[in-house]
Amino acid sequence: MSTRVMRVVVGGLALVVAAGCASMGGKKMTAEEAIDARKALMKEQGAAWKNVQDKTKAGQITALVPDAEKLVSTSKEIPKLFPEGSLDPQKSNAKPEIWQKRAEFDAAAKNLETWSVKLRDTAKTGNAEQTQAVVKDFGRQACGTCHQPFRVPPKQP
Amino acid sequence: MVQGSMRAAAVSAVLITSLALAWMGLAAAQVTPPSAADVARGRYIFGATGGCGCHTVPKGQPNAGGRKYEGAFGTVYSSNITPDKQTGIGGWTDDQIITAIRLGRRPNGERLLPVHPFPVFNGMAEEDLRAIVAFLRTTQPVTRQKEPKKLVPLFESVFLPAWLAAFAPRETPPPKAPTTGVARGEYLVKAVGHCGECHTPRTMTMATDNSRFLAGNPKGPEDQAMPNITPDRETGIGGWSVEEIADYLGSGNKPDGDVAGGLMGEVIEGTLSGYKDLTNADRLAIAQYLKTIPPIRNKIGK
Repeated sequence: MSTRVMRVVVGGLALVVAAGCASMGGKKMTAEEAIDARKALMKEQGAAWKNVQDKTKAGQITALVPDAEKLVSTSKEIPKLFPEGSLDPQKSNAKPEIWQKRAEFDAAAKNLETWSVKLRDTAKTGNAEQTQAVVKDFGRQACGTCHQPFRVPPKQP
Repeated sequence: MVQGSMRAAAVSAVLITSLALAWMGLAAAQVTPPSAADVARGRYIFGATGGCGCHTVPKGQPNAGGRKYEGAFGTVYSSNITPDKQTGIGGWTDDQIITAIRLGRRPNGERLLPVHPFPVFNGMAEEDLRAIVAFLRTTQPVTRQKEPKKLVPLFESVFLPAWLAAFAPRETPPPKAPTTGVARGEYLVKAVGHCGECHTPRTMTMATDNSRFLAGNPKGPEDQAMPNITPDRETGIGGWSVEEIADYLGSGNKPDGDVAGGLMGEVIEGTLSGYKDLTNADRLAIAQYLKTIPPIRNKIGK
């Protein structure tokens, strides 16, 4: 087999593999999958945030770094878990405003990421006072600013 | 002799009248402007109402009004309560503003709809109302014309007066605002925080059903379901500790790791101030009071 033929075959294979990867990576979630995934992610974030608060109260500042890291990594996932067509008021508390004001929603997710990075990096220093100051505002400023416009409030306390 | 006495009496009368008028003028001139402490107190009480958020469109200019409220009565928009002289309350006297807050009357005699909860604000102490007025006068004036209301026929002339007479709850202003303990908590919950307006279910007449005070409302303002916040363990907040309730009011953080949103998130954050700005002592007083009200089993939603 000549070098030119080899190049064509290898090139073609690479294209097939790339196309396959692209189609897998870009596989569109169904609305149901997206709703399940985002509910699970929010529960994960709630658990991490509770850990952060408990550890801050207990003075275990550096111990909360993994929980803050969890908030950082999960916050990056938020936008893709709210694809177009996944509004379902029966199964999800997501409000239509998410899709009507998409840029604002994405900015709110980015805001959570920014706050989470700040929380993680502050906790890493072990400075209790500074970490407490971040924790004090985190709920309202990082979570509440998204919950307020974009989530139907839970009916139960 | 008689003439002299009469003259002396007339001179005395003129003198007395002049002195009285001078004293009245002096007294009027001595009306002291509100102190920085009065304004600070006003900002604090303003925050304890939830920042009068009904008067602010989300992300809009604070207190400029224009928030839409719809109901069986029709459609109304909240008023501009900035000190703008033309379109706000800048041209009103202190007493006129207080009358509007607690009695629901504009200076021209027109009634406010009880969407503005004046029957419960009437439970606020005079000193707190005066402080709020002092604070409002320091805020940024915004020129914003009020949108015209659209009410169903005869609502204002017939239905509203009848409803107010028959169903509106009436609070009595305390001579002084309670300062500590459960009494303070009750005052903040019932009057200043007007928690019952959202969290108490309503009867068919749309009056709050105070026999089920704070037991939740499946269809609260802006179509939001409002949770049961009585101490019922199954359907209310009976499982929350006093500290957890107090913490929630300051931070929005729930004991399970969730964070408040919706209208509750709004009142915690407030506008120019909110529940988050309450002292720990006041948040604890509210929590302690909420533990004393009757637990009512009333599950809101699924």
